[in-house]
Amino acid sequence: MPRAISYHRPGSVHDAISLLVNNDHLPLAGGTVLNADDDPTLVSFVDLQECGLANIDEVGSRLRLGAMLTLHDLTTDSRVPVGLANAARAELPSTLRTLATIGGTVATRHADSVLLAALLVYEACVTVAGPNEESVVPLAELLHNGVDKGHLVVALDVETSGTCVRHATSRTPADTPIVSATARATDESAWLALTGVAAHPVLANPKDPTTDIAPIGDFRGSAEYRRRLSKILSSRALAEARKFA
Amino acid sequence: MKITLELNETSRTIDCAVHESLLTVLRREGMASVRFGSNSGETGAGAVLLDGKLASSEVVLAAQANGHAVTTVESLNVDERLHPIQAAFAATGAMQSGYSVGAMVLGTLALLRTDPDPSENTIRDMLSGILDRETAYVKPVAAVQQAAAVLRGEEAEPFRPLMVAPITDGIHPVDHDPDDPPPTGSPAVPRVVPSRDVPTTTVVGHPEVKVDALRLVKGNPAFTDDFDMRGLLYAKVLLSPHAHARIISIDDSAARALPGVHAVIHHENVPRIKYASGGQSYPNPRPYDQVSFDNKVRHVGDRVAAVAADTVEIAQEACSLIEVTWEVLPAVFDELEALSGDAPVIHDETDTIDIADPSRNLVHHIVAERGDVDAALSAADHYYEQTFRVHQVQQCPIEPHISVAWLDSDERLVVRTATQVPFHTRRMLAPLVGREIKDIRIIKPRIGGGFGAKQEMLLEDIVAHLAIATRRPVRLELTREEEFIASRTRHPQTMTYRTGVNGDGTLVAQELQLIGNTGPYGTHGYTVQSVSGLRGLTSYNAPNKRFDCEVAYTNIPVPGAYRGYGAPQALFGLECHMEDIAADLGFDPIEFRRQNWAKTGDELTIAPHLGERAVVDGELDQYPVVGSDGIEECVAQGSRAIGWHRRYDRSWREPAGSRHIRRGIGYAHAMHGTSIPYLDMGGCSIKLNDDGSFNMLVGATDLGTGADTVLGQIAAEVLGVPLDDIRVYSSDTDMTPFDTGAYASSTTYISGTAAMKAAEVVRKRLKERAAMLLEVPIPCSIELRDRRAYAPDGRSVSMEEIALDSLHLNEHEQIMGTGSHVSPECPPPFGATFVEIELDLETGQVEVKQMVMAVDCGVAINPVTASGQVEGGMLQALGYAHCEEFALDENGRMLNAAFGPYWIYRADEMPRTDVFLVQTMEDSGPFGAKAVAEIPKDGLAPALRNAIVNATGVRIDQLPFTPERVFNALQKS
Repeated sequence: MPRAISYHRPGSVHDAISLLVNNDHLPLAGGTVLNADDDPTLVSFVDLQECGLANIDEVGSRLRLGAMLTLHDLTTDSRVPVGLANAARAELPSTLRTLATIGGTVATRHADSVLLAALLVYEACVTVAGPNEESVVPLAELLHNGVDKGHLVVALDVETSGTCVRHATSRTPADTPIVSATARATDESAWLALTGVAAHPVLANPKDPTTDIAPIGDFRGSAEYRRRLSKILSSRALAEARKFA
Repeated sequence: MKITLELNETSRTIDCAVHESLLTVLRREGMASVRFGSNSGETGAGAVLLDGKLASSEVVLAAQANGHAVTTVESLNVDERLHPIQAAFAATGAMQSGYSVGAMVLGTLALLRTDPDPSENTIRDMLSGILDRETAYVKPVAAVQQAAAVLRGEEAEPFRPLMVAPITDGIHPVDHDPDDPPPTGSPAVPRVVPSRDVPTTTVVGHPEVKVDALRLVKGNPAFTDDFDMRGLLYAKVLLSPHAHARIISIDDSAARALPGVHAVIHHENVPRIKYASGGQSYPNPRPYDQVSFDNKVRHVGDRVAAVAADTVEIAQEACSLIEVTWEVLPAVFDELEALSGDAPVIHDETDTIDIADPSRNLVHHIVAERGDVDAALSAADHYYEQTFRVHQVQQCPIEPHISVAWLDSDERLVVRTATQVPFHTRRMLAPLVGREIKDIRIIKPRIGGGFGAKQEMLLEDIVAHLAIATRRPVRLELTREEEFIASRTRHPQTMTYRTGVNGDGTLVAQELQLIGNTGPYGTHGYTVQSVSGLRGLTSYNAPNKRFDCEVAYTNIPVPGAYRGYGAPQALFGLECHMEDIAADLGFDPIEFRRQNWAKTGDELTIAPHLGERAVVDGELDQYPVVGSDGIEECVAQGSRAIGWHRRYDRSWREPAGSRHIRRGIGYAHAMHGTSIPYLDMGGCSIKLNDDGSFNMLVGATDLGTGADTVLGQIAAEVLGVPLDDIRVYSSDTDMTPFDTGAYASSTTYISGTAAMKAAEVVRKRLKERAAMLLEVPIPCSIELRDRRAYAPDGRSVSMEEIALDSLHLNEHEQIMGTGSHVSPECPPPFGATFVEIELDLETGQVEVKQMVMAVDCGVAINPVTASGQVEGGMLQALGYAHCEEFALDENGRMLNAAFGPYWIYRADEMPRTDVFLVQTMEDSGPFGAKAVAEIPKDGLAPALRNAIVNATGVRIDQLPFTPERVFNALQKS
């Protein structure tokens, strides 16, 4: 664990942000990433559990997901689209899923996150609160730019329609995919997101998925292999999603 | 800060530091069931219910839990009885070491509150966060199902073996009948194929509940870290960041000056005593190429210095304050490069002797030959040569290495430690700390898995040095990353088989050329490679055999003992080689093996010339002979269970509608050993108590295997009492008899025979005392059963009456007996392993759909623990074959020293796993027993590889079968 020197549990987003503007203060959501880090840097934690960010609300055709919803919550609420629920289940095992939050997942921007890929194809937009205002940014943009210091992910809103399918290649069935392709299709359109091909999950062009991707290889798969997988898996995911849309 | 928890339904206000984890605080509050597995929480060993949901307490700040409800297993321990969930885990044998069973029980509790009748998938999803290296999750799933049934008010079916009728006569093969269905029912239930040769027994052969089940399912203090010590200091070790470097200088002044630091040790203040860390019999195999702290490091993770401090954090900070000036040296990681003559010399010190050729990094050159291999290969009708590469993996016990040392009130050194070899550790530790053996006591509590990693003196010298220096108790526990880089691993090898075959399929010669990679230190380097030769060249008969092996030093993290001990490597090569020869010659793969495999009555001609007590020169008058085998029945049961006939059906292999999918079934044969002849030794003592019960002390080391239970069953059978009347204690070098330790598949066979001998001594005296009481002239006519001694005329006295008479009334004596055993024999268990896969031609991804293993382990003393052993071994073997692999960068740093990047199988992805125990009667073993512990590791990798061949025709001779490796092989073909 990092060496926490102070711990705060603010009762509102406003109070949390007023703490987070300090350089050594970090937002603490579920803790599965931050508390697992053995960086000995001295930090102050701002625990968000009492900020009222754990709601699910239907807003028109979209679903608004509070940032402090756990992945377990996503798997058990019937309003959450099946594709998102399945991705939340695949993201982490049972003992971490109950802690990890959707907001923490977004802020972490892990390259292999199948949940982020699912959120991308569900056209997720992220509400970010800052010292002066709230803004809404597409998830793809936030994954690219990250969350600014002193700002906080407070919610995501997603579409709920369509069929979502994920195809992945991994060492074992439950392993984090080397590459995954998540596709969502409606009668009118299709979306595709890839993991394992960039520094964070990315939206890809369904017509030409490998355009603009430059995978980085590691011990699980070379760059060339990842590129090949992205083409194959995209094709499969899109075909299946369209078939059942 | 102060936090308030609703801990097990009681409000508790607790002082804690801001940075402390919930796990740390709960353990300090006495919740011993919450155990450390890793800092990142993915082992699940520290899982609790947080507001009713299963959550890893390692990654929860105690402060985060403030105001919340926390439930641990201790909440269920309201009286002596077990909660139905705990009872189900005990009854089904759903734990081996039981290190993580508390988390499983809690997960079950939470699950059944919301879903009283969960599906198997739901159960497996619940278990997905609790990693287990021991059960393959087979019996835990059954335990949850049984608990659910009981809590629904249904009657639990007794968990007892399913007796499966033999298919063969035990000698002759039978044709596989596709219409003959395999036994149905839960794979968790042990399936036993009985033998007519095995006599009826009362306790032996029955599924007795483990003797340590209560303490494990209740989460009671049991493991090294579960016992509080007053004044405890915490140690950390400064590990090398370099794969190969010389320490030019070391400045510990800043570390020593840090408040809370009590000792700093390194090569400048610890005596330079040479040793070898492998836990092996006296005299340990040479070279002695280690010292506690050296002025040179030879792998990333090697020891540099150690600190004892008031807290782990202070110790860690002190380590970071130690200033080391390095001369970084070039390093070498590959065994072939290391031997090339151009590689950096890893052991250039002058005080290590018995290295075969230090200038070439050649530790050992091992050669053994029978017959004339070269001539036979030249004359053979067919000649085959094939090279294989096997990789580095880790044992991954969920309990990391941990040791605590202190000076007792007599100022003797006491070490409580997670070790498989307490007696070896005591002997090896003595010279390092300048004490006599009599002044050292090693206590082995329960161990949370070892699998060979703990057949090593790894931490004990460090905590001992620090305890002596500080005169305070000192605790050292490895983190998960340290467990990967600074403990022990499996040896990588490059091996070449050369085989000569006659036209009729008879092997005439076989040679194994092996290059073993022992990393920077010898430890088990000699013996593991010797066992590779032994196992790699004894499965099949051939009049001419040769083993030619070079063992190389490199700069990888240190290999050592790992369950199977050289056999999984060698049998991967051998069983792939045999498969390919059969295919090339047009033979059926099993029939070709059958024609050549060693069976009852066959001599094992090269075996005595390999191993720790190898006969180096000359011939023996007599060679060991296979005394029993059940391999034909194993093959028959396994073939039926996997549906072997499908591998010949193209429409099954190439399923319609799945253009890119191929299916395949593979087989591998395995013959292992049981103990090391003339070397492994076990001791046991048994004494009678006032109530007719017995205390049994054994030096044998139960790692979770069920050894204590099995040894107790053996004694109970001899003494005519139920297992519950035998109180087993192991192991403590002050209290229990000597035992070489838990390795080499020896405990049931060697320590079990010692237990039988001790019980026989007691039985003889019980009969004599009973004869006195019953006034029977011939004591041997007395029969012991049902806690009583019976005269031939039916009169009887109870064990209690005998005990009270002998202890209190007449001719007072303590009835007790001791026994010890060493065997000249090494009876081989046999195994038939089958694997079914699906393979994606476009991605290379292999999915294992089913694994079947039928094992001839003689008589399984306890079929539940024996089948659990096989299941757990298969899980580890599956990881070895499929996904586990050390990834090092060009500087020797491990890229995946954490669970996740280093992937081990979870409950929610395990293929169906079927185990059959095929009985044979091994006359040299206690009640007919042979070994079962290691053979499950041997066949799975080659069976998986051979399934890939069946599916695609592509031969891959390197492990593991990760997607890109398979994909590249498919592309090349």
